[in-house]
Amino acid sequence: MDTTVPQRFVVPIGPQHPALKEPGHFEFTVDGEQVTGASVRLGYAHRGIEKATEGRNWVQNLYLLERICGICSHVHATAYCLGVEKLAGVTAPPRAQAIRLLVAELERIHSHLLWLGVAAHEAGFDTLFMYSWRDRETVMDILEALTGNRVNYSANLLGGVKFDLTPELTDQIYAGLELLEERTHQYVDVVTSDATLLQRTRGVGVTTREQAEELGLVGPTARASGVERDIRAEAPYAAYSDFPVKVVTATAGDLEARFVVRLQELFEAYRLIRAVLEKLPPGDLQARMPRKIKPAETISRVEAPRGELFYFIKSNGTDQPERIKVRTPTLCNLASVCVLAIGSQLADVPMILAGVDPCFSCNDRMVTVYSGDTDHTQWTWKQLRQYGIDYYRR
Amino acid sequence: MNAIQDLLTLMFFPGGLFVLALGMSYEWIDRKLMARVQNRVGPRWFQPYADIAKLLVKEEVIPADSNRLLFIALPILALAGALTAALYVPLAGFDPLYSFKGDLIVTLYLLSLLTVCTGLAGANTTDRFSLVGATRTLTQLFSYEAPFLLAMLGPAVAARSWQINEIIADADGQWLLIVQPVGFVVALIGLLGKLEIAPFNAPEAETEIVAGALTEYSGRGLALFRLGRHVELVVGLTMVAAFYMGGVNGLPLFILKTLLLLLILVGIQSLVARLRIDQTVGLWWRWGVLLVLAQWLALVIWEGVQA
Amino acid sequence: MKRHTLLQYAIRSLFRRTATQRYPAERTPTPERLRGTLHWNPDGCTGCCLCSKECPANAIEIITIDKAAKQFVARYHADRCIYCGQCVINCRFGCLTMSSEEWENAALQKQAFTVYYGDVPNVERVLEGFVTQDSASNSPA
Ligand code: SF4
Ligand code: SF4
Repeated sequence: MDTTVPQRFVVPIGPQHPALKEPGHFEFTVDGEQVTGASVRLGYAHRGIEKATEGRNWVQNLYLLERICGICSHVHATAYCLGVEKLAGVTAPPRAQAIRLLVAELERIHSHLLWLGVAAHEAGFDTLFMYSWRDRETVMDILEALTGNRVNYSANLLGGVKFDLTPELTDQIYAGLELLEERTHQYVDVVTSDATLLQRTRGVGVTTREQAEELGLVGPTARASGVERDIRAEAPYAAYSDFPVKVVTATAGDLEARFVVRLQELFEAYRLIRAVLEKLPPGDLQARMPRKIKPAETISRVEAPRGELFYFIKSNGTDQPERIKVRTPTLCNLASVCVLAIGSQLADVPMILAGVDPCFSCNDRMVTVYSGDTDHTQWTWKQLRQYGIDYYRR
Repeated sequence: MNAIQDLLTLMFFPGGLFVLALGMSYEWIDRKLMARVQNRVGPRWFQPYADIAKLLVKEEVIPADSNRLLFIALPILALAGALTAALYVPLAGFDPLYSFKGDLIVTLYLLSLLTVCTGLAGANTTDRFSLVGATRTLTQLFSYEAPFLLAMLGPAVAARSWQINEIIADADGQWLLIVQPVGFVVALIGLLGKLEIAPFNAPEAETEIVAGALTEYSGRGLALFRLGRHVELVVGLTMVAAFYMGGVNGLPLFILKTLLLLLILVGIQSLVARLRIDQTVGLWWRWGVLLVLAQWLALVIWEGVQA
Repeated sequence: MKRHTLLQYAIRSLFRRTATQRYPAERTPTPERLRGTLHWNPDGCTGCCLCSKECPANAIEIITIDKAAKQFVARYHADRCIYCGQCVINCRFGCLTMSSEEWENAALQKQAFTVYYGDVPNVERVLEGFVTQDSASNSPA
């Protein structure tokens, strides 16, 4: 250790840590309980999905990309489908678009409830955690009944969707929504009135509007700071132009605001789902898609539960893409953790981290670091192996 | 002959093993109730035993740069402290095994031994989570200990004795919590702080510092610490019940009263979020101490008037 | 509906049935659309291989026994399958279905995951190795 610098006390969080359900590495320099420095390192869950897409055809990629995220799988598939359809000049029929919206909002409900539980757990409020995850089962069951799977719904097809609604399913969704709505009222009550929880959330991790703009925050994290940023409203995709969303914002920018924004978005999701169920457009479920797509490139944006999800897709005339680039919302939001953590209490750090609803494995991409001198940090397999052996010999 | 009988009493009934068994049963009730509140199934009755048994057979890893002797001795000391404290309280409605003038003070200090040992155990290792945990444990100790002590001494002042036996005899079935409600509340909440359960579980907040001071402990050491915690739960509940709820003569009364207290503890535990350590300290010194002192003042004046 | 505070709710929870399902002992019926093990029905299969070509996991192979007589065998790798259902959509002749009943597919041996579908004599021929891996390729004729 450099002797000129006073010895620093670093608390590592991750890559394996009970606060993180996924690998990411944060280092917080602390002075007592006060955080004085923060750094983040990502890439533990890099899977090379973007590269893998280049060796598969358009249909196969749909399922590969859906597996980028285990929580918001449907938005990935939707973003991809919308992009590919744009490239191929195909529009999915209105009924299919409405069903895409329906599943997306159901997924948002499940994702926000999941987040509520995780955030409550970080705050040491395990009862809220258990309740919200129990209630989340309702929406998981709906999704399972609707699409046939609980996690990777595979509801999308290129050019449409796989599944139609039946009267029984509609009834199940209505019943589920009713239950969830009642429960959500209770959650709002708890997060805005429970004294101990408020001590941990009110005024903690405050992000001002300017900071949010500057850091480029997206999704509920940005909306809690008063930034009206929602792709569903700004650039409506799927059926969002027929079923407009009201963007929920708050101004406080603290953790409480993030709780409230996400919970209010649940009500908005319930309203949207009911609207879709009432006015489901008739018609086909799928439009014909060509197997090969002429050379072109496009971008496609959708609002994932965590914020803006961005896809860049380039075709080259074959049945395989030339390049696909994904940028997930967590990447935009993570930087804010390092800024917000400085000056806060160590105990609040997991809360701040959870406040952006991080999802690490969907966010890890390949980065090649050139260190400046000739020996850049690309290692061959042999070097890596030797390094591993040497490391454990020591 | 007498010595053997004493030894048996110490080891089995109503001492030693009996206390441990009681501790584990209460631990189970605590977890089960918590689970039911959260709409879960919860553990079966033998789960605490299974946990301890599992820990005891597991390998104990002693970190390289910690003091071996301390590392091994601290858990033993912690458990011993808790067990010794159990000798002076009317467990399960039996008369305390030992009793002498001033045993109340000794018991209270013995009860703190566990916390001190936990803090030292954390400070003994170089693990960063342990160190933060140790700091928090000791900070918390200093915040709740004084109010807890004062709250426990309230009944003693009323009885004009420092002997647990006499205090209970003096109260003689009166529910002191009616005349000293503040003391009761503070004692109960102090118990939460002592046992590091929510909302005072910042010293072992798993989402921040993994397992706090005991992060490096595994196997036997962890088992002993946990046993100590279980015993302390019972001893603490017994003392609060005996002092404030009109004594615990007889097994049925004991069980009834301590379970009632446990239910309250579970209720608090499950309905609150974790407080930050600075908030814990603030809470105790701003409210706990002041309230208890106010009650003390009232008590002393009352006693003065009576005398 | 009256809203409860958390305390009231917690007290009520004490006396409610737990939400946990004691799984093997009690189980809820699976939804009709659940995507479980894939089944292949040889009647009507034309050997177009649309199913296998777009399978993201290469989990299904159509092995040609006799192209003219429309004799095929399907080899299904349940361990590779990601249960996406694309093959079911792709098959225009309705040969493929996914069971909503068979979903507890754990097995101790890897062999259990390779499933052959087809007429018994054809499957036997494949198993005995009369149809080599080369001629069993997926390329559509
Ligand atoms: S369900 Fe999907 S992965 Fe399984 S065989 Fe069909 S296409 Fe392949
Ligand atoms: S798509 Fe249908 S008809 Fe074509 S090979 Fe597959 S199972 Fe046979």
